[in-house]
Amino acid sequence: MKTMLTGLMAAAALVVTSAPAALAYDGTKCKAPGVCWEAKPGYPEKVAGSKYDPKHDPKELQKQGDSMKSAEERNKKRAEHFKKTGKWVYDVSKIQ
Amino acid sequence: MKQRITTSMLASASCMAVAAALQFAITAPASANQKLVELSKSNENWIMPGRDYSSQNYSPMTQINVENVKKLRTAWSFSTGLLHGHEGTPLVVDGLMYVHTSFPNNTFALDLNDPGHIIWQHKPKQDPAARSVACCDLVNRGLAYWPGDGKTPALIIKTQLDGHLVALNAKTGEEFWKVENGDIKVGQTLTQAPYVIKDLALVGSSGAELGVRGHTTAYNVKTGEQVWRVYATGPDSEVGIGDDFNKANPHYGQKGLGTGTWEGDAWKIGGGTNWGWYAYDPETNLFHYGSGNPAPWNETMRPGDNKWTMTIWGRDADTGQAKFGYQKTPHDEWDYAGVNVMILSEQKDKAGKMRKLLTHPDRNGIVYTLDRENGDLVSANKLDDTVNWVKQVDLKSGLPVRDPEYSTYMDHKGKEICPSAMGYHNQGHDSYDPTKELFYLGINHICMDWEPFMLPYRAGQFFVGATLWMYPGPKGDRQNYLGLGQIKAYNAISGEYKWEKMERFSVWGGTLATAGNLVFYGTLDGFIKARNSDTGELLWKHKLPSGVIGHPMTFEHKGTQYVAIMYGVGGWPGVGLVFDLQDPTAGLGAVGAFKNLQNYTQMGGGVQVFSLDGKNPYDDVNVGEWTGKS
Repeated sequence: MKTMLTGLMAAAALVVTSAPAALAYDGTKCKAPGVCWEAKPGYPEKVAGSKYDPKHDPKELQKQGDSMKSAEERNKKRAEHFKKTGKWVYDVSKIQ
Repeated sequence: MKQRITTSMLASASCMAVAAALQFAITAPASANQKLVELSKSNENWIMPGRDYSSQNYSPMTQINVENVKKLRTAWSFSTGLLHGHEGTPLVVDGLMYVHTSFPNNTFALDLNDPGHIIWQHKPKQDPAARSVACCDLVNRGLAYWPGDGKTPALIIKTQLDGHLVALNAKTGEEFWKVENGDIKVGQTLTQAPYVIKDLALVGSSGAELGVRGHTTAYNVKTGEQVWRVYATGPDSEVGIGDDFNKANPHYGQKGLGTGTWEGDAWKIGGGTNWGWYAYDPETNLFHYGSGNPAPWNETMRPGDNKWTMTIWGRDADTGQAKFGYQKTPHDEWDYAGVNVMILSEQKDKAGKMRKLLTHPDRNGIVYTLDRENGDLVSANKLDDTVNWVKQVDLKSGLPVRDPEYSTYMDHKGKEICPSAMGYHNQGHDSYDPTKELFYLGINHICMDWEPFMLPYRAGQFFVGATLWMYPGPKGDRQNYLGLGQIKAYNAISGEYKWEKMERFSVWGGTLATAGNLVFYGTLDGFIKARNSDTGELLWKHKLPSGVIGHPMTFEHKGTQYVAIMYGVGGWPGVGLVFDLQDPTAGLGAVGAFKNLQNYTQMGGGVQVFSLDGKNPYDDVNVGEWTGKS
């Protein structure tokens, strides 16, 4: 979904293209070691609540972590069984 | 059964992993590693993608040299039977060649005495849904070898696109263990060549284009047990950052930045996968690799420096803990995924001090050289003078000085950005000749226009948020979409290029250097070429059945030097060809740039092996003959 360019953002875009380089983000003005990002002129420091808010669903964000945790648990069962028996069983439902 | 996971649980799990790793470090014998080091010294072996732990892709063999390379002829060939892109290179150990393939990731063992006979083959059955979450064709980059210890057999270790890491008995091909290292339902795949250090099998992750949070994991080769796992983003305990991290270069950043340089929980879907190559120094016990791009590509959606994506790592092999991390492209705006090859060398710096170095030609168009003991930045030079997103890299601060004209952001179409998202260098495994102190770099010469768009994150779905148009760089032919590549010889200390040549298409797969004063490489249009490594003069080429996206290797067998290369066009530059796509913005922008590739090559994978005058085992016509029932 492409976001429509509003009058306000058109003005911001003009600022970006016509502003002197010193005002634009060149990545060299650091607030702390390793923290050098700046919002580009006309763009927000935080996107939450702005027109650029991705509105992430916390449930979706959690899915990778959940999946990794369960895979680690299954792998652990497989490896433990292998160490005990010398036989690798992939299907954990068949591991006693 | 899925369980909810909390930060404290993860921290606890991480502590347990570290404790287990420490226990392992105390008890693990070094013999397997020493055996691997010894094997790599023999010209008869090629035991890992870069030949040895230095990843130099350099052979001291001279039987094939500048004087006689014109006599190279095909010795034998092997079709893998698969059509999609074949990256990487085969392994050769103890008289066997191990060949990997694109999805479904078959593996073949061939007898070098009679390569027409397949000793064993492993053909995994995978969920075909894995194909739909692969980023850029269905490639795989190779295999790892563990030499065995008398109790546990020698192993071939492989990745599957569906996220599994599998160990096979190297002599029989039987599965020894098989673990889940990723879940295609949340977009995680595997395309990387695993890497063996001591008794550990290291493996990364793929899927940053689907918002996958990158991780690197070590498994005990003998048991399949996870020893440690570290992430590219998130809390320090999960990234593997301790008190001495970046001690020599605190200005790179130290603690708390894996979450602090992200807004909210965006680090959980922040990318930083690593699907490229590893290198290892047994003396420092550090291994090196690069984490990839942040997700999504749309930079406006993820304020902050987005650490520790795009980072060159020096990590302890036993624990995974990071000694240093240097972020090359903070807050990436162009998909300059930092996973490319790390080549280790020992050279004198400009002050005459001998140093342990790592050199890394990055996607962002800069070739970096670091002191691999502490992460000091030694040099950072443009891969081509047409790189424009960055004016220079400040060696003191380590920061790229960006040119805002080539920034990308919402409601703006960036134009003429060089390099393109494919980088001026991508996954090619390049080479280094220590006698000449030259790196031989296969280069992309591609620029782009870039327009971001907003999109939601849904686990397991593409999460890119940018439309790309790619075309040849300024030195290419933009009318005919040719002149998309280069090959160069680079001195990392002086920063100078000794020679450079243009190519019709990207030199995607990488290079091989030999003491025969030669550099070999394959081209997308299906040639293997040999150049004089001193001068760049083209000395020999041979047309292969399909285009090349892998790198050549060389080995000796029964006194004969062979050069081998995998063919099989595909990969990111080949997505338009292999999937018959027409929209120039499809394939994340590659289809437009490579629209002419189909006029030079077609699909089909295999290995072709060369020797002087084509000498091969079947010169004795009785070899391989069926002699009847005994």
